Amino acid sequence: MNRLRSFSLVEFSVEHPRWVVFLTVLITLGFLTRFPKVRTDTDPKNMLPPTAEVRVSNDAVERSFGLYEDMIVVGIANKSGILNDGTLGKIKRISDGILRTPGVAARDVAGFTTIDNVTAEGGMLRVGPLMAEAPQGDREMEALRKQLFENPMFVGRIISRDGKTAAIYVPLEKGASGMAVAGKIREIVGREGGPESYYVAGDPVARDTFGAEMFRLMAVFAPLAGLVMFAVRYLMFGDLFLSAALMMDAMIAIIWSMGFLIGLGFPIHIMSSMAPVFLMAIATDSIHIFNEFYFRCKEERDKKAAILKTMKAVGRPVRYTALATTAGFAVLLFMNIIPVKVFGGLVAFGTILLRILSFSFVPAMFTFVKEESILKASQGEEIESSRVSRLLGRLAGLGARRPWAVALTGLALFAAAVVGTTRIAVNNNMVEWFKESSEVRTADRVMNEALGGTSLGYLVAGSDGKEEEFIKTPEALRYVEGLQRALESLPYVGKTTSVVDYVKRINRVLHKDDPAYEKVPDSKELVGQYLFLFSMSAKPSDLDNVVDPSFKKANVWVQLKTWDAKAMRGVIEAARAYQRGNPLPMEIRPAGVAYFNLVWNDMVLWDMIKGFLLAMVVIFAILAVNFRSPKWALVGYVPLLFTVVLIYGAVGFMGKDFDMPISVLSCLSLGMAVDFAIHFINRFRSRLAEGRAAPAIEEAIVWTAARPGKGILRNAVLFAAAFSVMLFAPLTPYVTVGAFIVSMMLLSATLCIVYIPALIVLLRKWLFAAGETPT
Amino acid sequence: MTKLAFKTIVAAAALALTAAAPSNAQKADPAGIVRKMHQAFFYQGESFRARVKMTLTDASGSERLRELTMLRVNMPKRGDQRYFMYFHAPGDVRRMAFLVYKYPAKESDRWLFIPALSLVQRIAAKDAQSSFVGSDFSYEDVSGRDVEADEHKLLREEEHGGKPCYVIESVPKGSASYKRELSWIDKAAFLPLKEEYYDVQDQLFKEFTGEEIKEVDGVPTAMKRTMKSVKTGHRTVVEFSEVKYHLGLKAEEFGERALRNPPGSWLK
Repeated sequence: MNRLRSFSLVEFSVEHPRWVVFLTVLITLGFLTRFPKVRTDTDPKNMLPPTAEVRVSNDAVERSFGLYEDMIVVGIANKSGILNDGTLGKIKRISDGILRTPGVAARDVAGFTTIDNVTAEGGMLRVGPLMAEAPQGDREMEALRKQLFENPMFVGRIISRDGKTAAIYVPLEKGASGMAVAGKIREIVGREGGPESYYVAGDPVARDTFGAEMFRLMAVFAPLAGLVMFAVRYLMFGDLFLSAALMMDAMIAIIWSMGFLIGLGFPIHIMSSMAPVFLMAIATDSIHIFNEFYFRCKEERDKKAAILKTMKAVGRPVRYTALATTAGFAVLLFMNIIPVKVFGGLVAFGTILLRILSFSFVPAMFTFVKEESILKASQGEEIESSRVSRLLGRLAGLGARRPWAVALTGLALFAAAVVGTTRIAVNNNMVEWFKESSEVRTADRVMNEALGGTSLGYLVAGSDGKEEEFIKTPEALRYVEGLQRALESLPYVGKTTSVVDYVKRINRVLHKDDPAYEKVPDSKELVGQYLFLFSMSAKPSDLDNVVDPSFKKANVWVQLKTWDAKAMRGVIEAARAYQRGNPLPMEIRPAGVAYFNLVWNDMVLWDMIKGFLLAMVVIFAILAVNFRSPKWALVGYVPLLFTVVLIYGAVGFMGKDFDMPISVLSCLSLGMAVDFAIHFINRFRSRLAEGRAAPAIEEAIVWTAARPGKGILRNAVLFAAAFSVMLFAPLTPYVTVGAFIVSMMLLSATLCIVYIPALIVLLRKWLFAAGETPT
Repeated sequence: MTKLAFKTIVAAAALALTAAAPSNAQKADPAGIVRKMHQAFFYQGESFRARVKMTLTDASGSERLRELTMLRVNMPKRGDQRYFMYFHAPGDVRRMAFLVYKYPAKESDRWLFIPALSLVQRIAAKDAQSSFVGSDFSYEDVSGRDVEADEHKLLREEEHGGKPCYVIESVPKGSASYKRELSWIDKAAFLPLKEEYYDVQDQLFKEFTGEEIKEVDGVPTAMKRTMKSVKTGHRTVVEFSEVKYHLGLKAEEFGERALRNPPGSWLK
């Protein structure tokens, strides 16, 4: 039935080409009107639904400790030290500017001018901003220096140990744009200039800058990829009109599917921003139609007949490759991660559209081509005379004649690749999505070298409420203090802060600033009175951020020097080990951005392993149905499997982390790389079945490689050309995707043409039923 | 001056006069209104005592309680006052006591008694706008701000909660935690019914409301006051009970001895 409908669609399109084209253009314009409503969303939080456990628990922690989701860290560095009139004056002015910036939660900005300091001078206890005004004269400067370096809550947090870098922590109000605030801050520091250098870092900066770049890339790289493909096509076919028709095919599918997505109200995530390039590449599958059309034109000399015969010959493989590709993307719909789902659905939808266009719009466009120009162009399409075809024939012949050598070489490569895959490390690091020399990454690196760290995680330690206000007990405080020291021994943990630091500080200050009292006092009552005293003068958020209102839970701030998801895993493991070594009825639970990144990272991995396995099964099923034989499906499967394993082997050997873009690609690659095998085996078998007198396997193999094989090669080259533009993108995930797809296409095309012949020859007894075995 | 301009001015003046006439012939002197409000809100009676319950509620709805007895005595010198606060709850701060000598135009002196250390500690009062015992009220909100520290302007007169009010805008002359404040001052009792504080970004961040106004010992008193931090969702409700004016307290008793061991009659 399916066949019947598509055949009538082709005939209808050939009969009424103008109507088909007109209708297509009309619908395209309709979808185009949705485009102005486009929104982007780069917040990793939205990768998971709001009901996800980690989001619910993170929100709860943020609420009970009055924390902010997002924090920008501003660094001010002076090679000769920041403790001088000039630099401190700048810090004061910059801080004032930041406080006035909309989107900044001014009340909780932590820097020299706002952070609360606890001191005792001349018997007078003082809790107030460390530096309300820049110090006047040497004495005040010396006093500031002493206060800064004597207080462990400041060193590594707002000033580096070497005194050359200062930091301002800028929390953002809900919904504020990190990039907009970062831009304003850059303006503010830009006005100061001077020998100091300034850095703006933090998760919201990376995330929102990435979002803006993503948008720009979508606008630059998708058309660029289209242009490259157009040029390559023109070189292949030498006909401007047909090259444009193929290009339109892709553009139409992109506009329909993106318009549909935007129209439904979905925002564009990083994944879906790549969809246009994917669809453009998938559209190259129609090259098989063109390829065959050229050969047929040469043979038939009648355009309409050539079109219909072409569609008859390639219709089946084209439909099945579309099905396999659609399946490869559709498995993503079963994942947990929202943008991945959206992307899968989007590309699957676009692939189906492309195929419908292949059976309607493309044949309709064929009818407009002048016959002479086709004939002229197809002169080169002769197996005997085309150099490419001869080369392909020889390659396939190598596989057919020396099957053992080819098979064993492949196996050796495969084994090496498997070794490589064992070296793959799972990790995700959003800052590393930027290039090494980018402003975002430089700022992050400099700040992490000098200070406690720009990535923030929390560990909430709490008791289940046997004792009222348990956190105020000396045992609980010492427990938390021990936990902090244990965490700080990890190389990537820069600084930890908790209520213990306040208690110790007050204890010391109330004992004539005697360093011997920089410790947790022995009575719960005293701790309670210290904290009360502190709360009488400090900003309310100082305490709120580190203890919950009922004093059942303490929140330990853990500053990490890297955005690696695995760093937070290390923190959690260290906390667990500490718990085992120090039995106290306290529970420790992780939270914060760093924790979210970790959960999300793990989720991506499991999702993708699940998706990969699912895609393997589905694609095998599609192959088996298409070839009507599981044995042939297995033959078609081998080059696919080899391609994927070889690429992951290379990823492992290169030491590239298995991050979100790569893991998503693993799923997709199956659906795309299988196309060539489908074309090859379908055409090979129909060639055999065409019933030439004595069908010789080798002859059929060489023919398949030379004629449809040329289509496969053209397809692979076009596909690779489309993605190669992504290699020049300024963001690494795009580069990764580009490199991955380029190598996958070229590899799977080569494997298909060399390896499938070898397998057919080796397994011919098994593949062909007894009695019909060809020679 | 042309005749026409002169006529216009006379007409305008006449209009202004008729508009002002019903309001007690009160001259629209905004600083004067604020001064009267201070008198009504912070200075009534030569002395005052109340049991104060503070409920601190955060955005997630969890509550913290503070209970204290507050005493005040006015000093002979105009504007000076002494405050004494004795904490009953939470449990671990019981017997903590806080003494403040307030001077309108300069920093106040503050002492805190820490029973667990048996220590009377002087505390710097650098910032009168900092939080009072972790609540949304600042020290200024509790004991008043120098009228001269701000530029006052009468914006309009309107009803609030059914009571005719002056709406005053006060802009700090020096640096402050807020950029401007709007107050709705009851024309009859001169108590503040509502105050709005705007931050440096000129966004509303704190909101005060005075409710349950009752006459105690002949003095209209707001028995319930709420301060809401709009941006964080945190708020503090202060409820007065056992209010008494004219207790005949002696100013000299507001000292270190009382901090360590307050007279029994004070806490009754």
